[in-house]
Amino acid sequence: MSLIDLMSMAKPNLKSREKFLARLVGTERINCFQCMKCTSGCTSLKLLELKPHEITKLVRLGFVDELASSDIIWACATCLKCVQRCPQKASPYHVIMALRNLAVEREAKVPEAYLKAVSQILETGVTEPVQKVTTKKMEVFDRESLRLPKINAPKESFQSVFLKTLEERQ
Amino acid sequence: MAKVGVYVCHCGLNIAGVVDVEKVVEYTESLPDVAIAKHYAYMCSETGQSMIQEDIKKHNLDRIVVAACSPRMHEETFRKTVAEAGLNPYLLEVVNLREQCSWPHSDEAEEATEKAKELLRMGVARVRLLEPLEKRRISVEKSVLVVGGGIAGMQASLDLAGAGFKVCLVEKAPGIGGRMAQLDKTFPTLDCSACILTPKMVDVAKHPNIELLTNTEVTSVSGFVGNYEVTTVKKPRYVDEDRCIGCELCTQACPVKVPDKINEGLSETRAISIYSPHAVPKVAIINPNYCLRLKYNACGKCVEVCEAKAINFEQQPKTIQFKVGGIILAVGSEVFDASKMPEFGYGRFKNVISNIQFERISDASGPTGGKIICSQNGESPKSVVFIQCVGSRDKRFHEYCCRVGCMVSLKQAILAREKLGRNVDVYICFNDLRAFGKGYEEFYERARGLDINFIVGLPSDIRSAADGSLYFDVYDRGINKLLEVHADLVVLANGLVPNNFDKISELFRVSRSADGFLLEAHPKLRPLESPTAGIFLAGTCQGPKDIPDTVAQASGAAAKVIDLLSSGEIELEPLRAVVNKDSCSGCRMCESVCSYNAVEMKTEKINGMENLRAEVVEAMCQGCGLCASACPAGAIEMQHYTDEQVLAQVYAASLKTEARGGSQI
Repeated sequence: MSLIDLMSMAKPNLKSREKFLARLVGTERINCFQCMKCTSGCTSLKLLELKPHEITKLVRLGFVDELASSDIIWACATCLKCVQRCPQKASPYHVIMALRNLAVEREAKVPEAYLKAVSQILETGVTEPVQKVTTKKMEVFDRESLRLPKINAPKESFQSVFLKTLEERQ
Repeated sequence: MAKVGVYVCHCGLNIAGVVDVEKVVEYTESLPDVAIAKHYAYMCSETGQSMIQEDIKKHNLDRIVVAACSPRMHEETFRKTVAEAGLNPYLLEVVNLREQCSWPHSDEAEEATEKAKELLRMGVARVRLLEPLEKRRISVEKSVLVVGGGIAGMQASLDLAGAGFKVCLVEKAPGIGGRMAQLDKTFPTLDCSACILTPKMVDVAKHPNIELLTNTEVTSVSGFVGNYEVTTVKKPRYVDEDRCIGCELCTQACPVKVPDKINEGLSETRAISIYSPHAVPKVAIINPNYCLRLKYNACGKCVEVCEAKAINFEQQPKTIQFKVGGIILAVGSEVFDASKMPEFGYGRFKNVISNIQFERISDASGPTGGKIICSQNGESPKSVVFIQCVGSRDKRFHEYCCRVGCMVSLKQAILAREKLGRNVDVYICFNDLRAFGKGYEEFYERARGLDINFIVGLPSDIRSAADGSLYFDVYDRGINKLLEVHADLVVLANGLVPNNFDKISELFRVSRSADGFLLEAHPKLRPLESPTAGIFLAGTCQGPKDIPDTVAQASGAAAKVIDLLSSGEIELEPLRAVVNKDSCSGCRMCESVCSYNAVEMKTEKINGMENLRAEVVEAMCQGCGLCASACPAGAIEMQHYTDEQVLAQVYAASLKTEARGGSQI
């Protein structure tokens, strides 16, 4: 491609783009006309500065390598709002997931917080450890005091399937 | 033996850039009966045409093959060319070397050249067997049916009536004016819609050449171009049109409240009412779904107060039949229903309104008397937001651009600024702002000068705070910031969407394009005609349009009808089906497949036996060929596409090019 990103002097890599698009089912997923609906509603924008419209545009222009090695693709909370609201039936979510797979394939550095969340799921079955809640009246509740069922650690079968899936992806 | 002249067109580089025209000509010369073969840069130019004419005279050619663009483009042109040189115009064959050869095979020059040779071999095989045909002339009715009394139908009717044609204008609503009657002001000049519309409505009602049928629907159409028979049903108004003086005493007396359709449900009217503030005709109508007398045989207050004694509960539907030569469809479109799009909360939040509802609250004759107020509390808004592309440019709903949303919102933003003053915030959230028409960009500039905030980005959703006020997040791609915007009134720029055209397309045999609007005969060269001869399109039923475009198209369609009918007779193509009565077994297969009702079954007595025989009504046959292919006895032949002609072409297609022409053919 005949352009250069003058901020980082990066050049697009059309070969990686082609490879990347081949694994992304349907080019419709990057068929974005930059209306900003996805970014306006993005759950991960305010804290983590994820801008889905930027990701799709960068993929279109051929900056796949830069994205695969960047931390920003790990910011997506996978709420799927962008998929649901997109007027062009594009899907920043699918693009981000494919970029993550590409990053793992290339053994790019995955942010620690993300790996922590993964091992948390592996060990406890939930993304966040179950916490106690303090009310306005300073009463402390946990699941037991609310008579909610106990959350058991996942069975070994879950863990083996989980690990196997991870291996297959790699 | 035929003497064929073959003319291969370069079409600039369109054909010659891919196909080796010299090789094609060289090959063509070897084909049987070809007396002369030439190529030229632009066959359709004057030089190209006179080259053909000179050759016809000089070499006594009696068949011509032109290998150029699609016959849809220039078949008529070359028919005229050969006719001027004294040849029957139907002794011409057009071989399509552009759309069917050079364009689709632009990357494969060699194969394209081979294909061109094959196409020409087929063309020559067919042209040798063509027979001279004569055009048919039929007389026509010099009157026109216009369906739809919006601005398009009114403009077309006035133009036709002015040219001396009798017009029957049918409107299904109780009054004319259509969508434009709901608008406050019009872009880009900000003249009020009523001021430019109502005089036209009066003109329509008063014109001696226009018969206005309101509250009427077309129920059947038969016949063919120049001779349509139309049946309409006038639904009962339950009010005598000749007696009612439009005093509205009945409306004041009526106890039954009914949502007002003209005001988009923002106010209520009564079960007996005048259709709109500037209604033409200004005659009351009773809504039979609400009227207590018609439903329960009760009430009757309107009868008591009506001094003109106009109310008549015994009125029945009235069937009206008439003949017309041409038909203009101006049946309009709908406004997108934003409740299909849950993220913007239309229907859930009272202060989220559609752009057509904004027109009503901004209109002096609307439910608020022209005051822009929030529907929820009746207060005047401190912040107004317009959101663009609602239901349009959206693959979940309608993929096309609605063509009016941007300008409507610019206009409404200017109206909001003018009516609400300088201390009110006005925002427009858009993706692309399209101001493409004459004076439109200047109008956009005017809006920018009025301190209207343009946010380049659409919100993902609209939320309601605990106090009922609305707010939303929107990422502005101009400043790369996420903004939180608080709004008292949100106006959605709903696009125009096609009506349910099922009934219309069945009645008038018109088809729809992929976007759901009615299909024109050619998107560029015949935009005012439907593919069915004698039926024309005007206004938003053909595709979304603003008022200037609608009026232009309506006048254009009227001119087309005048062109068609003014001489009192029309020429029909001689391409039609002919039944060989001796082979016909009377199985009625042809009758069942004919889309134009052109096949009639007749009983004939032969040797005392009664036999059923098919007959093709010449004027109604469109030459589509369905009957000829369906006939199990092979008793129907298509003129200009006889079995012999088509099979010769098929045979020529199956030969190898190396065979070099022809003893086999």
